[in-house]
Amino acid sequence: MKAFDAEILLIEDNQDDLDLTLHALKRENLANNILIARDGEEALDFFFCRGSYAERNFDTPPRLVLLDLKLPKVNGIEVLQQVKSDPRTKSIPVVVLTSSKEELDLVRSYNLGANSYIQKPVNFTEFRQTVKHLGLYWLVVNQPAPQGTCEPAGQES
Amino acid sequence: MLLQTVLDSLGDGLIVVDNAGRLLIWNAAVENLIGEPPTKLALNQWPEALGLYEPVECKPYPAEQLPMARALRGESCECEILVRTPLTAKSIWIEVTAHPLKDQNANVVGAVTAVRNITQRKISEQEIQRLHDELESRVRQRTVQLEAANKELESFTYSVAHDLRAPLRHIVGFAQILEEDFKPKLEPAAQQYLTRIQQGTRRMGLLVDELLNLAKVGRQPLNLQLVNLAPIAERVIAELAPSQEGREVKWKLGELSWAQCDANLVKQVFQHLISNAIKYTRLRQHTVIEIGKTEAGGHTCIFVRDNGVGFNMKYVGKLFGVFQRLHRNEDFEGTGIGLATVQRIVQKHRGRVWAEGEMDRGATFYFTLKGLEQEPGTQESK
Repeated sequence: MKAFDAEILLIEDNQDDLDLTLHALKRENLANNILIARDGEEALDFFFCRGSYAERNFDTPPRLVLLDLKLPKVNGIEVLQQVKSDPRTKSIPVVVLTSSKEELDLVRSYNLGANSYIQKPVNFTEFRQTVKHLGLYWLVVNQPAPQGTCEPAGQES
Repeated sequence: MLLQTVLDSLGDGLIVVDNAGRLLIWNAAVENLIGEPPTKLALNQWPEALGLYEPVECKPYPAEQLPMARALRGESCECEILVRTPLTAKSIWIEVTAHPLKDQNANVVGAVTAVRNITQRKISEQEIQRLHDELESRVRQRTVQLEAANKELESFTYSVAHDLRAPLRHIVGFAQILEEDFKPKLEPAAQQYLTRIQQGTRRMGLLVDELLNLAKVGRQPLNLQLVNLAPIAERVIAELAPSQEGREVKWKLGELSWAQCDANLVKQVFQHLISNAIKYTRLRQHTVIEIGKTEAGGHTCIFVRDNGVGFNMKYVGKLFGVFQRLHRNEDFEGTGIGLATVQRIVQKHRGRVWAEGEMDRGATFYFTLKGLEQEPGTQESK
């Protein structure tokens, strides 16, 4: 179903953060095709095409996922772990976008295969700059993995 | 008879034997301490019969090591013996000094031994030792408690400061959206209030960042290296150049020292002290800032001196407290966290920081570091 497909998946539970991120994305005309998940469970439903996303297809992955770490139900680290350990979803670019500067969060995120880690700056102009760079890089510059990129079994090197 | 009276009037015990170990003198004081003279016993039977023990391990005293026996071998000696006579239920400690008696040809003809009761002294010593041990263990216990409390406070500061960032970010963001998207519709007074909100959030952002840094300084383990301090100070001066633009500042960078320290943290010390010096000399036509090395209380210390507004020594105790400021924010901006951070870093290096100042005459900040006096020796060449 086309309605479930999105260029950007924004996983964020805090309404204020959500509004500010959307505001920044809209200003850069990057918010045309964006889908929002408000907790880790909803995000996993989206990734694995189940629950209210049962009709979604693995062949149309988002080009960018923005992931907050502090999430209700299933936290961001766990979402990252599941997405990056499943061959059907692991090539989807996931950018951790969080308040946390804890070294442990950084280490864990990268160990699990996060594509980037960004601490939200307090300064809003800086934040907008960051969102702009992110959007341009992942939606315009970056070449995504071809669709249906599941490598045939036995050919993994 | 006279001799016996003299001997018996002595406060200390006296024992004399001949070279065959036969008892010649056993005065009244010894009798009081140990008991009847062992007239019929050979020397090697004394420990068991008299109840003589080694004071530390409480084993029967080896007969050949008895001071009397050693003196008969020509040796002078002094030792402590624990006595547990069957007569008195209590133990006593005696201090025994023995010397050989020699004739004109230096042959040993006997031995003389002085015996002194040191029980009271021993009990006092043991009591002192017990109190000392107790105090030590109490200090250790308190130190552990204090360290735990400090750690807790630091992680509390860290998480509070950390958690404050999120709502602060929201206020900053929405205020900016309000300004950019709705400013033309706002009345001048409303615009004024908006500006005030933004000034407030900027200040809060600074506070949160500095608090986070202060907590981080406390939590981080020291990365000790042998560092030359002068280049660090020079780098800090260069980095702070923009903050003194358009002013006439005369720098006097004297000889500093090498130190076994955490270079990043010590750089922060210079950053805070030097930027303070620049800040509080802002109203001077000719600013002079001096950084050098001096002696204080037998220790090498580094100082940063300025000719700025100074401070009243009455308030010197408040200088290093968190959020303590001696100037109004309108006069000299600041968070009141900088010098607290300096103190934390210096204390982590087991050093001391203090200040001297005079109103309108400038201020001098001094600090020592535990590893400050270690000259690099051969390492200087690399």
